[in-house]
Amino acid sequence: MTQLPAPIALLTAALSRLPGIGPRSAERLALHVVQLDPTQVRTLAEALIQARERIVRCERCGALTESQPCPICGDDRRDATLLCVVERALDILSLEKSGTFKGRYHVLGGKLSPLNGVGPDDLRIAALEARLQPEGVQEVILALGSDVEGDATSHYLAKRLAPAGVRMTRLAQGLPAGSGLEFADELTLSRALEGRRAL
Amino acid sequence: MPVQAGPGKVENRRIFFLSAVFEAPARKTAASGKSSVRAKVRHCRWVHLAQLRLRDFRNYRQADLAFVPGAHVFLGHNAQGKTNLLEAIYLLATLRSFRGVGGAQMIRHEAKGYFVGGTVMGPSTHEIKAYWAPRERRLQLDGRAIRKLADYFGVLRAVVFCTEDLLLIKGAARGRRRFLDLLLAQTQPGYLTLLLRYTQALKSRNALLKSPRVDEAQLDGFSQELVTVGDALMAARQMIVPRISPLVRLAFRRIAHETDELKLEYAPSVKGDFAVALGNARARERAVRTTLIGPHRDELTLLVNEQSATLYTSEGQKRTLALALKLAQAEYLSGIHGSPPILLIDDVMGELDARRRAGFLPLLQHSRRAGGQVFMTCTEENWPAELGAELHRWRVDAGTVSPAPK
Repeated sequence: MTQLPAPIALLTAALSRLPGIGPRSAERLALHVVQLDPTQVRTLAEALIQARERIVRCERCGALTESQPCPICGDDRRDATLLCVVERALDILSLEKSGTFKGRYHVLGGKLSPLNGVGPDDLRIAALEARLQPEGVQEVILALGSDVEGDATSHYLAKRLAPAGVRMTRLAQGLPAGSGLEFADELTLSRALEGRRAL
Repeated sequence: MPVQAGPGKVENRRIFFLSAVFEAPARKTAASGKSSVRAKVRHCRWVHLAQLRLRDFRNYRQADLAFVPGAHVFLGHNAQGKTNLLEAIYLLATLRSFRGVGGAQMIRHEAKGYFVGGTVMGPSTHEIKAYWAPRERRLQLDGRAIRKLADYFGVLRAVVFCTEDLLLIKGAARGRRRFLDLLLAQTQPGYLTLLLRYTQALKSRNALLKSPRVDEAQLDGFSQELVTVGDALMAARQMIVPRISPLVRLAFRRIAHETDELKLEYAPSVKGDFAVALGNARARERAVRTTLIGPHRDELTLLVNEQSATLYTSEGQKRTLALALKLAQAEYLSGIHGSPPILLIDDVMGELDARRRAGFLPLLQHSRRAGGQVFMTCTEENWPAELGAELHRWRVDAGTVSPAPK
């Protein structure tokens, strides 16, 4: 079997390091790219470099931004007393799409994961603590995932931030809006029952 | 090529005792033959395996078999692939081998991966396709890939009787916990999800305890998770043991014809409040660097005449007890789901004396009469005629399966 020319193999290897791209997809993409019009490839390459060079992390909240601080942290109309803690910068986009949250965000950059060697010092927890007093935060909303590690991180944060004297809340867990009971799994249903509200 | 044989096979086993189970029903007419079988398939409300397809599985290059409800027996010499068929059926039900081996060992020699497919018929029809290779796994139900295992389990239920069952009695507590877990996972929705969650919380917590400098606050975060999920697991186990205990006792009495008093008791490793107990165990945990209490240390105690069955029973009693546990499992599944599980019987009865076999068979018969499907393996060449035509016989010879002449 003849091997792929070295440049294609190199490109394949680089692409396969991206998330969600296995060796086969990487090879298909590489073979596609090398047959493209050269100007098109140049545009792609420039877009990649531009995006990487212009995007930075907001020093305050950790969101991906072009300006420092990010538009959300720089927006005076947003409620500084509400701080929503999320795992990844991507989660901010999801919450912003809902359009109901008017406070600010803080990106942890992951969750506690002893099995992967991620501890409190690897997360932006110290930065979170440092924000509470100066920004006059009154409520911290934990919007972490509800898997084992997400829940454990929530418990951990609740305890660690307790001395700061701010109100700690977490997102409610329950039925997805607009769907019937039949689509909810048992754990979701039992948590929805636990978190029921008076009408 | 040689087939891996199950341990503890006994050659030239006498099988006369099977006649008690599979005698022809009185209403059967001579002319019915195949058409009656077909009619039964159509009207069958009970879940049964209608087709089994194997590719490169163990010693089977290719096998396509169709099964009607009722009792099937795989006949053949040792090492021809009889147990492999039971293993494949069990695999469809539980996605694991009852021989306690990984996927790689089930691939036919020199093949890349194995395929096991099945058609399950009952109130609705399901098509299962499972492909396993060292670097590729595919599981499809009705043409759609399965992402969450919890969505898959329950399509086909099977209870296996094999020589390894003895470890349920003789072996470590782990085997008995697994017995309980399997039963709960098959009957209580959400149990499997909880169990997986608990395992992850436990692993994370143990990883923290093993780190050079234990972060107490972080440990606390995972402890809370362990307690929440652990409490739910213990509640489920607490609920199920009193329900299966009478079933085991009844099965045990029928097989053993003895007046021995048998009891199952749930012995949780946590006494009192889990959170408090975990806090109290902290000092000892510091020394051993692992989580010392919780559902992962629970025990299911088997008591015969108020004495530990593990310590104070004879070998024969242990075998009877293992059978009784499995029969109770089948009985409980039937009760919950309204349809008996498929029984897979691998060379078990040869280990029982005649009296115990005679006690065991009516229980099997009961399952079959309730509409269940039974598959068993047998090494005997000369099949006794009194077994009747209701028993479907298959000849297994070096990786080929063919209907055996009556």
